[in-house]
Amino acid sequence: MANYLGIDVGSITTKMIVINERDEVLAEVYLRNNGRPLEAIQQGLESISSRLDGETSIDGAATTGSARHLAAYLVGADLVKNEITAHSIAVIDLFPEAKTVFEIGGQDSKVIVLREGVVVDFAMNTVCAAGTGSFLDQQAARLGISIEEFGRLALKAKQPVRVAGRCTVFAETDMIHKQQIGHSIEDIVGGLCDSLVKNYLNNVCRGKEILSPIVFQGGVAANQGIRKALEKELETPLIVPEHFGLMGAMGAAKLVKRAKPFRTLFKGFELSRKSCSTRGFECSECENQCEVVELLVDREVVACWGDLCEKYRKSSGPMIG
Amino acid sequence: MKVTFPHLGTMHIFCKAIAETSGIPYIVPPETSRRTLTLGVQHSNECICLPFKMILGNFIEALQMGADTIVMVGSGPPCRLGLYDLVQKVILEDMGLRYRWLTIPPRLTWQAIWKNYEETKELKKELSWKNILLFPYGLRMGWKKMMACEALEKLAMKVRPREVQKGETQKRLKKALSGVDEARTLRTLNDALQKGRTLLQETGQDFSRVPLKIAIVGELYTVMDPHINRGVEQKLGELGAEVTRTSWFSTHILRSLRKNKADQNSERIRFFEASKAYLGYDVGAECNLSIGEAIVRSQEGYDGVVHLMPFACMPETTASGILTRVGKDWDIPILTLILDEQEIEGRIQTLLEAFIEMLQWKRKAA
Repeated sequence: MANYLGIDVGSITTKMIVINERDEVLAEVYLRNNGRPLEAIQQGLESISSRLDGETSIDGAATTGSARHLAAYLVGADLVKNEITAHSIAVIDLFPEAKTVFEIGGQDSKVIVLREGVVVDFAMNTVCAAGTGSFLDQQAARLGISIEEFGRLALKAKQPVRVAGRCTVFAETDMIHKQQIGHSIEDIVGGLCDSLVKNYLNNVCRGKEILSPIVFQGGVAANQGIRKALEKELETPLIVPEHFGLMGAMGAAKLVKRAKPFRTLFKGFELSRKSCSTRGFECSECENQCEVVELLVDREVVACWGDLCEKYRKSSGPMIG
Repeated sequence: MKVTFPHLGTMHIFCKAIAETSGIPYIVPPETSRRTLTLGVQHSNECICLPFKMILGNFIEALQMGADTIVMVGSGPPCRLGLYDLVQKVILEDMGLRYRWLTIPPRLTWQAIWKNYEETKELKKELSWKNILLFPYGLRMGWKKMMACEALEKLAMKVRPREVQKGETQKRLKKALSGVDEARTLRTLNDALQKGRTLLQETGQDFSRVPLKIAIVGELYTVMDPHINRGVEQKLGELGAEVTRTSWFSTHILRSLRKNKADQNSERIRFFEASKAYLGYDVGAECNLSIGEAIVRSQEGYDGVVHLMPFACMPETTASGILTRVGKDWDIPILTLILDEQEIEGRIQTLLEAFIEMLQWKRKAA
């Protein structure tokens, strides 16, 4: 049976999933980038291959997420798809009746409006990242608790305090003020969840028609505090899919499954044992001063981008669309 | 004397033509780069919009290269940029740069002519009789070049969604525009325009495609300059959409000359009339037109509207709020992109790709 690999390289985490033709999940990986997406992709490939049967072949690979092009050049992808479409596809397939998708990730938060299995509207935060996973991460670190514990603490809040959620810098100022005048940590964490949810609904979802059933996914869906705050604010239960963090990767895998590449461009799992790096330089040939990036595998330049005139480009890029 | 002017779409091509033909020395600022933006950001108030920062950067670079006379269009309130020529003057003076400033008035009124008269009185001493005699011819040359650039750009917008080799049209357009730029006489200009047209038409195209139709509306600097909007027009075209916009230099110049009866401007009157259902008065700048155009385009059967605005732009922030309502009332998808100095090219690409896909789904369902 044919198997398909979906890779979602986001700002904070890298997700990979392998599905077969019957859409059964054979293996999955979810790991942090730590600011080094290349290493994360290699690590991801290694651990996902260890979870697969030795004979499993990959018949198609697709990438998505903000580093989708980098990932595509590195692993050899048959399809590169933007994350908004990838997320929608996964939801439409799994929950055909869904009318709204909330997706909150590391630095992005999106809302997708679906009607009868078709995307009719969407929005994504553009100039501000308040209320996304990175900020929750930061605050958990400041309080010295793990992000998993963060959500549980929020559930214990008795009287959540009011925190200004519009801007992360001011939210932090507010939280420190509340902590210094003696509010309990549960109440502060609970208050933060409430205010982030309000910010998300007021900014990203402004003007969108939010109808239930609502699917809530992305890394932040793991956070019970945020989940409960959203349900309270909207007065409706949310559907959290089983693979809530992997929905982008799943959508990518489903899309490449539909595209059925004749012969995959996927370079194989051996890539994880090769040395991969990038090298950047500023070209001074003309006034454009392009920042050119070269991708090296085993010290050989395999791809190059960023040059407007395309003089450094050797290989043509993967199929985009 | 050395005159200079900001980069704004193809404006430098025809400004250069005016100066060149009348024999006035000029300096074209270096193409807008990260250095330009860095200079602009460093010397301006952080709340000010992106076009202001880019244009200020252009001026600083040009003055550093030895220019001494700046020509800038003023547009007047309520858009903040309309008063920016005054703010930019103060900043450049504070930086210790020495120069003279010539404002091209947004509307030809006696007041504006008087102001310009005062400004040009000094300049006249430096201009030779030859310069002054040649100036009308220079203006004619500039106007012709502007129309040539616009014709080529409009043609490229039609060719781009059908191109077989992605990026081909853009390369050809660049070549065609530099042909126009290099022409010295009206006859060679005509030849360059014809050659450019052929060059673009000869792009390998797939005529079986039925491209999506998208209108770009919004704040005019953001709509007209690809450095400010990160090449939205090109990106949409390469994703397979035929793009239209009504903000061109000729539109704005004809408007300022009050030639409102010309065809292009009657379109603007139509947009303004359409916006009246949502706005009782003129909010200023392009606000009413952004709203009106979205409505008119929906009636004309367009697939979608992309609304461009700089972060914190007052008239367009008003428009974006009303546009969400317009999109629902007229059943036309509208994508608002807010542009600022951050490197958000990847994000813009993601949003545009998803928008195009949504429109294709919508078309299939219909």
